[in-house]
Amino acid sequence: MSAVVDGPILSVQGLRKNYGGVPALQGVDFDIARGEVCGLIGPNGSGKSTLFDCCTGLQKSDAGRVLLKGVDIGGWPMNRIAREGRLLRSFQKTVVFPTMNSEENLILAGQMARFPGIASTFSIGPASRARVKALRERAQELIEVSGLSRVAHLPAGNMSGGQQKLLQFASMLMPEPELVLLDEPLAGINPILIEKVIQCIESANKKFGITFLVIEHNTDVLMNLSHRVIVLHQGQKLADDTPEAIVRNPQVVEAYLGG
Amino acid sequence: MAITLDTPHAPSPRLPAVRWGAAGTALVALALAPLVLDSYYLHALIIAMIFLLPAHGLNLILGYTGMLSLAQGVFFGLGAYASALLSMHFGTPFVVNLFAAAGIAALIALPLGIPALRLRTTSFVMCTLGFVVIAQMVAKNWTDLTRGDMGLSGIARPKLAIPGLGDATIAITQIPHYFYLILAVALLATLAFVALIRSPAGRCMVAIRDNETLAESLGIPTWSYKLIVFMLSAAFAGLGGSLYAHYETVVSPLVFQMYYSNTILIIVLGGGVGRVPGAIIGSFLFVAVTEALRVTPELRMIIYGFVLLVLVFMFPQGIAPLLERATEWLSRLGGKTDANAEKQA
Amino acid sequence: MGNFIFEQIINGVITGSMYALVAAGMTMIFGVLRAINFAHGEYYMAGTFAAWYVIEKLAVPYLVAIILGVAIAALIAAIIGRLVMQRLVGSPFQAGVLATIGISLILQNAVILAFGGGYKVFEGGWIEPVEFFGIGMAQQRIVLIVAAVAIFAALEWMVRKTRMGKAIRAVSQNIECCQVNGIDVESVVRRTFLLGTALAALSGILTAPVNVSVYGGMGESITLKTFAVIVMGGMGNVRGTLVAGMLLGVVESLVSGLIGLQYRDSVGFIALLLMLMLRPHGLFSQKARF
Repeated sequence: MSAVVDGPILSVQGLRKNYGGVPALQGVDFDIARGEVCGLIGPNGSGKSTLFDCCTGLQKSDAGRVLLKGVDIGGWPMNRIAREGRLLRSFQKTVVFPTMNSEENLILAGQMARFPGIASTFSIGPASRARVKALRERAQELIEVSGLSRVAHLPAGNMSGGQQKLLQFASMLMPEPELVLLDEPLAGINPILIEKVIQCIESANKKFGITFLVIEHNTDVLMNLSHRVIVLHQGQKLADDTPEAIVRNPQVVEAYLGG
Repeated sequence: MAITLDTPHAPSPRLPAVRWGAAGTALVALALAPLVLDSYYLHALIIAMIFLLPAHGLNLILGYTGMLSLAQGVFFGLGAYASALLSMHFGTPFVVNLFAAAGIAALIALPLGIPALRLRTTSFVMCTLGFVVIAQMVAKNWTDLTRGDMGLSGIARPKLAIPGLGDATIAITQIPHYFYLILAVALLATLAFVALIRSPAGRCMVAIRDNETLAESLGIPTWSYKLIVFMLSAAFAGLGGSLYAHYETVVSPLVFQMYYSNTILIIVLGGGVGRVPGAIIGSFLFVAVTEALRVTPELRMIIYGFVLLVLVFMFPQGIAPLLERATEWLSRLGGKTDANAEKQA
Repeated sequence: MGNFIFEQIINGVITGSMYALVAAGMTMIFGVLRAINFAHGEYYMAGTFAAWYVIEKLAVPYLVAIILGVAIAALIAAIIGRLVMQRLVGSPFQAGVLATIGISLILQNAVILAFGGGYKVFEGGWIEPVEFFGIGMAQQRIVLIVAAVAIFAALEWMVRKTRMGKAIRAVSQNIECCQVNGIDVESVVRRTFLLGTALAALSGILTAPVNVSVYGGMGESITLKTFAVIVMGGMGNVRGTLVAGMLLGVVESLVSGLIGLQYRDSVGFIALLLMLMLRPHGLFSQKARF
């Protein structure tokens, strides 16, 4: 897609979404700049996951626009946003492909980015096999780095919740996306591994320039990680600033950080 | 289908060899069958192999992509009628009929699939049932084309050209010859099926089965794949129908009866959904055996009914997992040191 | 001509009311179990066959045959309900589809094996003709429409006023909530299943004198037509099935009278496909239950 190179990678303008009478988003505006790690916080029910849903095509917003690299992606199907837009998101309730092992899960995550079209995926010729081989190698690297080697042969459905979370996170990195939306990536992970995940996010951001928008309730970690933090409250943007400023913002403290 | 796989140890490296060995042995046994068995049993095996094709198609759409469709019977019948009509009106050779049947079935699957695939689960099943019944109606009433209930008869026997002998052809009329012809087609179709499953597209299909939303969110155009798979499975069924037409040399609206759809369903569910040898195991177990025992159609259906109930509540994945475990156990024989080494790792 | 059409419409309303009865049963079962009963038509067939049998072999009067027929069908349904249907609570939809397909295979083919696949003639019923708005029709048809109206009224009362009705509504809306609150969901499922299949059986027995022929495979087309009715009426919507059933009956009747008898059954099948492709949530507005 012809992209606007300067300018924000994601621009949300006036987003509104109702769920059968309950207003989940009531006019949200913000921009995310390329290469940022941006945090997204707010109490439960403030509309964070809905925001992700609308940005990725899982839900249609009732009003407003979402611009990805300057292009209006309203009405785009989810798979096109992921593939062409190179925007991925993880889910709050961890999902993996339960009957496939870790390697297969990761190959799948990276597959559509490497194959030029649907028809090419039906081929088992040398070009196709070479692509799969490359994907396999990358998958193995990620499995190593995530510490999943010991359980890599298991069907993903048989892994523990924490392991599935790591797998889901690794899947985000497979297709070399430009923008990744993480929905509570640290929830339910062994505290020892939290550091590891944070390092992964930071290194992916610095080495590959991947932009991150992270929903997270572990505010300490998030403040350390993010360049900027957006605060949502009852479907509206309450604040949008550096972590230091957010932490001192009285409105935010009252609504969310609990004095 | 709820899937639970328990493989606590990494599979033994000898496992592929054991599985290929088993497959190879079965193939050799089949190839030698006409030398040992008489026509009665060969016929049973032939019917099993004919049904193997639509079963592969159903396995593709149900086992690998997760859509329960009862419409395989439609495309089976379409393939049969297509072959019959081409043969009778244009005298086209067997191989042309074969591919034409597959192609026509796939083409008709397109306008049927586009609206049908938008439906949720149960509605989709009802819709496919509707297709079967409508197909039967059309076959009965479009008498100009199909001769209605009288059916089409006198379909030409397959004539195969002998390479290197100019125009000479041999007509396949005897059962042992049919056996090899159909074995060859079934084998090629099975190879095509395996190629599909092992391709990156096959991986996408499993993804769609496991979690369609997740697949979408990773960039997989699930609707397109579902439609393509629907058409491919129709092609497999059409191929089977063509073989059927050329073997029985008679085609009538009875080919659209639920009997055929149900048989194909049992083959896949009983043999093993979502597993490569699933349809093969199923068709030999459920079709060859019942055909050989000359079980009456009604009794067969009652057995299938009970088998369905047993499968639903006790073996949702069919028989294949049991065989898989047997081959895994075999591959570990004499390799106790491997297992111990794994436990300490 | 006008008289002819009027006659067709009246007949259509009457057969339609029977379709509605069968469909009400299927839709109620769907409501509590979230599963489509692919064997529903077989209970229609079983009741009819049982009635035929007692009339044929035991020479009982029609009224007794109705009672016996429903009782026998209900007995079969009770067994199936306990062994199969109640186990489907909470299972994925595929289990329900496949299990009920299995049941339908068993029931249909057991009857064919036991009694032969040929058509039987249903003796019995009140087939004396009577005048109705200038149209001559068998008394049975009057009985049909009266019975349908009475039963639908009774269903309405049951759902609003009785404990069972409340339990059915509760389970239809939220199974997990019911389980937590100590409602015996399996029991509700069994009893609803019994009621639903009994409605189908009754409908078959009442229609038999008019249709005359009884055969083992008769359930199949009934099941498919019932699909059409419940999709048109909105799955789980009992009132919707009344209207949808009558609509189907009328269209069938008109097609049969004006175009040809052999196309009668295809109306239901085509209606099913059209509905699924164009308006899968039914002819009326969303999610209206009971």
